[in-house]
Amino acid sequence: MVQILGVNFHELKLVKKALETFYALGPRTSERILAKHYIHPRAKMGSLAPKTVTALTAELSTMKIENDARKEVQDNIKRLRDMGTYRGKRHGQNLPVRGQRTRTQIWTARKLNKIERRG
Amino acid sequence: MSVPNCMRCLTRPSAVATAALRPFTVPVSVSLTAAGRVAAFSTTPAQQATPQKGSKTPAGRMDARIKRMANGHVRVGKRLHVGGKKGGTRPKAPLPGERKAYRKRIQLSNSNALPVKDLAELDGEHMLSEKNVAKVLSLPTAVIDQLRTVEAFKPTQTWGLFRDPSLLIRPETVDLMNRMQDSVANKQTLRLVIDGDKLTGKSILLLQALTQAFLKDWIVINIPEAQELTAACTEYAPIPGTEPVQYMQQVYILKLIQAIRKANEKVLSRLTTAYAHPELPQHIPVSSPILALANAAKEPDSAWTVFSALWKELSSNIRGRPPILFALDGLHHIMKISKYRNAAFDLIHSHDLALIKLFTDYLSGQASLPNGGAIIAATSRNNCPVSASLELALEQRLATQNGEEPPAKKPYFKGYDSRVEGAMKSAQVLRIKGVSKLETRSLMEYWAASGLLRTTVDEVAVSEKWMLGGNGVLGEMERASLLTMRL
Repeated sequence: MVQILGVNFHELKLVKKALETFYALGPRTSERILAKHYIHPRAKMGSLAPKTVTALTAELSTMKIENDARKEVQDNIKRLRDMGTYRGKRHGQNLPVRGQRTRTQIWTARKLNKIERRG
Repeated sequence: MSVPNCMRCLTRPSAVATAALRPFTVPVSVSLTAAGRVAAFSTTPAQQATPQKGSKTPAGRMDARIKRMANGHVRVGKRLHVGGKKGGTRPKAPLPGERKAYRKRIQLSNSNALPVKDLAELDGEHMLSEKNVAKVLSLPTAVIDQLRTVEAFKPTQTWGLFRDPSLLIRPETVDLMNRMQDSVANKQTLRLVIDGDKLTGKSILLLQALTQAFLKDWIVINIPEAQELTAACTEYAPIPGTEPVQYMQQVYILKLIQAIRKANEKVLSRLTTAYAHPELPQHIPVSSPILALANAAKEPDSAWTVFSALWKELSSNIRGRPPILFALDGLHHIMKISKYRNAAFDLIHSHDLALIKLFTDYLSGQASLPNGGAIIAATSRNNCPVSASLELALEQRLATQNGEEPPAKKPYFKGYDSRVEGAMKSAQVLRIKGVSKLETRSLMEYWAASGLLRTTVDEVAVSEKWMLGGNGVLGEMERASLLTMRL
């Protein structure tokens, strides 16, 4: 097991995929992080040197990921609602925000559009 | 009219039906079940056997739900269970890497093939003489081990069909071996690229060069697949203090050092170091054995330093140092921009990777081997990335060698690479084609003697296979005559 930012990963997991498990860290960012630390794209967690693991953790701790990124989204929604905008109101009602029909097919909005949005 | 047995059970009639058909059979031991059936013998394993009605096991409860016909046959609910939790255990999944190891295994012997009698064993002189052209000769066991260590055999080649690995001597073989011989005599570096169509035997010719080098006690360094170096599948790191920045591939180089050490042990054990190497992780005093220097590579981090020191020793201008053969297969892969990226997220050119830079420096003639030797690269035409500069350079070198006007660059094409042109500016090109009918005949006789070709080897058969193989393309002939067999 290799620990990055407090999360344990299996030794056979690809480093790229492991980085992408963090919220708000996608394929483009993970590619750049790998290049910055001279890790080849097919590297597995088990092949990382301890100092690289430390460097990765240090790098990730300066980035806006996981709860910080979630907080940013929630703040944005909250700001919309506090301003009393239509978009803020629709978020509060768990309804589509951008003029979609509400007769059918609003599962995604029901799931995601909340004031305290999870992810 | 309905049949007494259901269609599923026709192949194995029930005990009732058997009893009805053969009324005189008296079972030795009779056990009566609740349904009153006789079970004298069954091939069903105990685990899968239908449990008795009313038993407490899950299978027994299920059995109670199964609807039985009056004649004792099961019409519904009797289905083959594949997977799922019911039934036996699943077979064990292969361990990580096991499938790949099976796919990449090298089989060099087939005990079902006939041993070929009167097959001479290769020695250092066989491949130098014109009179051995079109002969098939077997590889000595010691050299087989060495070749295996440097990964000269490939899984796609047909070694696994024959009793022992053997090689066909071609005119190109004799030509190449004589050029290698001359390079040692003149203390020059042979810089050569083997090119040719698909399946014409480029990798085998490279293997013959490696064989000859081992037989002649050269030091052999082989990169069996150049794509492993540039496809971004092995560790890399910038080498400190290099400008422009070069990159080492620690893990690959550590493996390479170990292969060099193991394959060339006989030659290296005679040599001693001539320089002090203060940069090494462990102290190696001057005139200690070179094997000790090679053994200093234990960690990937120090691998490049050790390799540089080893190369400095081997390629130094000291009397008694043996010639070196540095071979590489899959030249196109190192004549392009690699898949690696630097910290600024720019792609790294293959020639910035230190090991490849070393190879191209010698291929271009920027550096030379003072004790003679050869830098040989083979192209691979099946797995061949586009490299316009390399293709052009190959055509230009060939035209120059034949005394023709070399073709010019396309004026408005932007895909040329000046570094590739520089690397290829003065290398020789050996283009190989199909074999002659004489060689085909010799090869087919070898196949027939191995018991793999069951036709008379006469002029008609030879011509047929030669033509089926695209005018003597070796791999195509193998496909046409060996690989289509239903073994």
